[in-house]
Amino acid sequence: MLGYYLRLSLRSFRRAPGLTALMVSTIALGIAACIVTLTVYHGMSSNPIWWKNGELYAVTVNPLSPSQTRKAGDPAYGSSQLAYDDATYLSGSGIPKRETVLAFLFGAITSTPDQTRPLPVMIQATTGGFFRMFDVPFRYGGPWNAAADRGPEPVMVLSHRENAKLFGGTDSVGRTLLWSGHRFRIVGVLAPWHPLPRFYDLSAGDGGPFGRSADAFIPFQWGPTLRDWPAGHMSCSSQGSASSTYQGLLGSGCTWIGMWVELPTRAARRHFRAFLQAYAAAQRKAGIFHAVNTHLWTVSQWLSLHHIVTRRSGLLVNLAFALLTVCLINTLGILLAKFLRGAPLAGIRRALGASRRQVFAQHLVEAGVLSLAGAALGLALSAAGLAGVRLLYRGSAAAYGKFAHFDPIGIAWALALAVVATIVAGLYPAWRIGRRPPATYLKSQ
Amino acid sequence: MALTSHPLLSALRRNPTGAVLIALQIGITLAILVNAAAIVTHALQKMDRPTGLDTRDTFAMEVADLSRQFNVYSASSADLAYLRHLPGVAAASVIVGIPLTDDGGTTTVGRLPESQGPTITSAYLPVDQQGLRTLDVPLVAGRDFRASEIRVPTVAHPDPRIGIVIVTQALANALFAHRSALGQSIYLGGRTPSTIIGITRNFMGPQLGGGEHAYDTVLVPEIVTQYAAYDLLVRTQPGKRAVVLREAKRHIDAADQNAVVGYTWTLSHAKYRMYSGLRNLAVFLSFLTLVMLVLCCLGIFGLGTFNVVTRTRQIGIRRALGARRRDIVTLFLAENAITVSAGAIFGCFLALGIGQWLTTHDGLARLDPWYLLVGVAVLALTSQLAVWQPARRAARIPPAVATRTI
Amino acid sequence: MLEMHNISKIYRTDLIETHALREFSLQVAAGEFIAVSGPSGSGKTTFLNVAGLLETFDSGTYKLDGQDIRGLSDNARSRIRNEKIGFVFQSFNLIPDLDIFDNVDVPLRYRGMKAAERTARIANSLELVGLSSRMRHLPAQLSGGQQQRAAIARAIAGDPALILADEPTGNLDSLMARQIMDLLEKINSMGTTVVLVTHDPELARRAERNIHIIDGLVADTVPASGARRRERQGPAHAESATD
Ligand SMILES: Nc1ncnc2c1ncn2[C@@H]1O[C@H](COP(=O)(O)OP(=O)(O)O)[C@@H](O)[C@H]1O
Ligand SMILES: [Mg+2]
Repeated sequence: MLGYYLRLSLRSFRRAPGLTALMVSTIALGIAACIVTLTVYHGMSSNPIWWKNGELYAVTVNPLSPSQTRKAGDPAYGSSQLAYDDATYLSGSGIPKRETVLAFLFGAITSTPDQTRPLPVMIQATTGGFFRMFDVPFRYGGPWNAAADRGPEPVMVLSHRENAKLFGGTDSVGRTLLWSGHRFRIVGVLAPWHPLPRFYDLSAGDGGPFGRSADAFIPFQWGPTLRDWPAGHMSCSSQGSASSTYQGLLGSGCTWIGMWVELPTRAARRHFRAFLQAYAAAQRKAGIFHAVNTHLWTVSQWLSLHHIVTRRSGLLVNLAFALLTVCLINTLGILLAKFLRGAPLAGIRRALGASRRQVFAQHLVEAGVLSLAGAALGLALSAAGLAGVRLLYRGSAAAYGKFAHFDPIGIAWALALAVVATIVAGLYPAWRIGRRPPATYLKSQ
Repeated sequence: MALTSHPLLSALRRNPTGAVLIALQIGITLAILVNAAAIVTHALQKMDRPTGLDTRDTFAMEVADLSRQFNVYSASSADLAYLRHLPGVAAASVIVGIPLTDDGGTTTVGRLPESQGPTITSAYLPVDQQGLRTLDVPLVAGRDFRASEIRVPTVAHPDPRIGIVIVTQALANALFAHRSALGQSIYLGGRTPSTIIGITRNFMGPQLGGGEHAYDTVLVPEIVTQYAAYDLLVRTQPGKRAVVLREAKRHIDAADQNAVVGYTWTLSHAKYRMYSGLRNLAVFLSFLTLVMLVLCCLGIFGLGTFNVVTRTRQIGIRRALGARRRDIVTLFLAENAITVSAGAIFGCFLALGIGQWLTTHDGLARLDPWYLLVGVAVLALTSQLAVWQPARRAARIPPAVATRTI
Repeated sequence: MLEMHNISKIYRTDLIETHALREFSLQVAAGEFIAVSGPSGSGKTTFLNVAGLLETFDSGTYKLDGQDIRGLSDNARSRIRNEKIGFVFQSFNLIPDLDIFDNVDVPLRYRGMKAAERTARIANSLELVGLSSRMRHLPAQLSGGQQQRAAIARAIAGDPALILADEPTGNLDSLMARQIMDLLEKINSMGTTVVLVTHDPELARRAERNIHIIDGLVADTVPASGARRRERQGPAHAESATD
């Protein structure tokens, strides 16, 4: 029967080729616009670790002045990073399943004795927990252990890119690299891993939140041990005070450390919150904090707090849906008109014994073929559209180009939208025809 | 008109679904069109603000230490000595933070010591004595820093607790409103006051977040040496930027085996990139809105054509009964006008609703009624154009079809 | 075959109720050929629509082939229409973008027949109405009489027990009308019950029984007038005359 319906649909399209082309291109345009917008939005604002959104939390304690003119919730209110003392204390609670602290360091590494010029690298100083918390994939080896964190031991994890650059992509675990006059042993090499935005450390680095991830990872304690100035974002409440020496930096209220905790259960969250609160209250009593204003942020809250999910890009998504609505209404209108004009023919079929379901199916097949054609054309169009977006973003940060790639989620969306288009635009007219007795359509004109 | 609108309305009433759908489309399109136009205009205005800088002839370059053995102060001094003698260079300075980028520091600024009064968050730009000259920003009051006032690590400052600063006009106004800020004390975060010795014309410093306070910058006389990197800001003679940049990068890269030139920024590129998000949004929004408008017109055109085909006989009968071609065209245009009016009314409410939402959630200014007016006009015009062709086609139907059976 | 008892059908619009059929009772035996006549608007089409399950009725009982129709689902009604009833309309109601073959194919498709059987049946019924050579023509390419014969072919292709014809000759000249009548008689002679609505007294007289409807009521039944002749002309012969 499906074959019969298909034949009837084709016949119907042939009868009104212009109208058919119009409907197909309407659906295609709507779907393409939607995919392009969603892909861009997806790239600009998505939470790269959505599957752990309820478990990972960024920790802030906001020790800055209460007399700030900015509103709470603004990242400039207080700081989204921690001071050294706070980070040290807070990571000793033992409450979270995992926890990590991080900062960017800048430096150069040397891989062979005869290398004349060291290679500049971005280094993420962090803890072994980092890799497990953020589900970082390894190509070779694995993360370092807690003992290496405490030491700190001279161990290093290389990014996929850096390993390709230094060792041609071979298994370099066990080999050593020279950084800051110390020989570091490579314990792991990552598989390609480029969460965009770089949610876990939004501070400066190369290209900001949409920049690349670090080239190498070492235990956090190496920063203080080697008195290596952090290269990421830092804010100090009292500029110039006590922070021109590294020791001064550690003792000052300057904030430069990011902290994340993994709290999978409700109890753990409550427990950790209380711990934070107690710490902030004690600090306030001691006159170090001005306010007790602690916070745990989920990844998506964290991203919107830092305006990574810009309110404007959310606007685009709404716009895309409005556009799709217009397309659907459009198709619905034309299809409805077409089907209703064909109602007398459907009436004849009913008189000849077609059941409601059969008439329904026939219309559904026709609408389905239309929307599938529209979806196919829409996919092609969106490929073109995304090429356009790449062109648009070419001038800006290199990484922006990355999210203009066709992604499976976009395709899934297109198909889902095509189905919705079919159901909405096809069912209603078919239903309207089926509702009235067939005799209505058989009156001689 | 009054004559034709009656049978027409009854036709609309008898089969309202198509008309309702068109009206819905028009409403949504109008609402989006109007708000998108408002957002795009807002973005254009924002991008149009003066930077106050010589973006064409200025660049910045970051020099980074690779070895940890190197002395930022002497290295940067050597670079500056070289740069200031390089032909084509108008001025050069060592700074921390690059104007028009978000690569820079911030500080809180207040008229009272911290926690005793309100503060403003401002960009914080350490410069040397050539800073203002390099930025090419004129003073509107007071004086520039003197070479002897620049805090450097090698010379003990007479009294490190008492500082001097230069602020932009915008910041001065924000702090002291209409009173003169010159000579006043302000507090940068801590409890030690600094005296304002100069006020500059407004310029955009290192950006703060969304750039709403783009002109708030405080300049301090200091060469910051604790980082393993420093920024050089260079202004060249007109048209010499590319040559100087290439030459300077080559020289500095080669001069010190432990130093490497990290990223270089021309201020024009920095400005371009600063607004890239806004610009892309504007382009994207305009494009989507245009697509929507086209779609809406296609829909009107399609349904119009379809109506002509299905109503051939009815139109033929009207013609047989004496309707002129003009009457038929008018019939279609009037029918469309009724639909558009309904859609426009719905669209205006929707537009105002969306505008309200944008105002509360997005901090956008209230929707200017002018936008609505223009939007309605644009839609009315384009939709009439869209229905024009089908109407002409209808007018060409010969009266003879009335006598033919279908 | 068809038993209607006290059927009433009311059309309701916003303003008025039209009693299209009231206390309408009629029995048609299997194999019978009856003609229905009456003034315009008296309810003839309504009666056919109700009889053909194209419309529901408000009260009364209706049995078709012994089966009570009341309360049947739309699906069941479609099934009965498809298998037991063939329609012939005044305006032919062929589907304009299907050729004659495909038009006759329509009810067979909905019956879910195999392709081979469909082809055979289509060929048979087209042969019976004398249109074998025209099966790939579109309706618009045929004359009125041929279109109506195609419609009859479509009505009988599924081997229905009952043919309902609503003024099938209304749009035709008298010669063609007579040929259509011949065809219906031939179909009737093969055992199919035929109910024919017509204004034409001459055609009506050829039926076994005449029903007269006025204002939705059976006004009087005229038994077989004897004018009905049992002998028939060959349809193929008739066709060559019209072309
Ligand atoms: N769909 C309908 N809605 C309202 N009234 C109807 C409808 N169909 C028929 N009628 C009315 O029912 C009456 C009988 O109509 P019909 O059976 O078509 O008469 P005819 O004997 O001419 O075939 C008429 O008065 C007609 O106006
Ligand atoms: Mg009738």
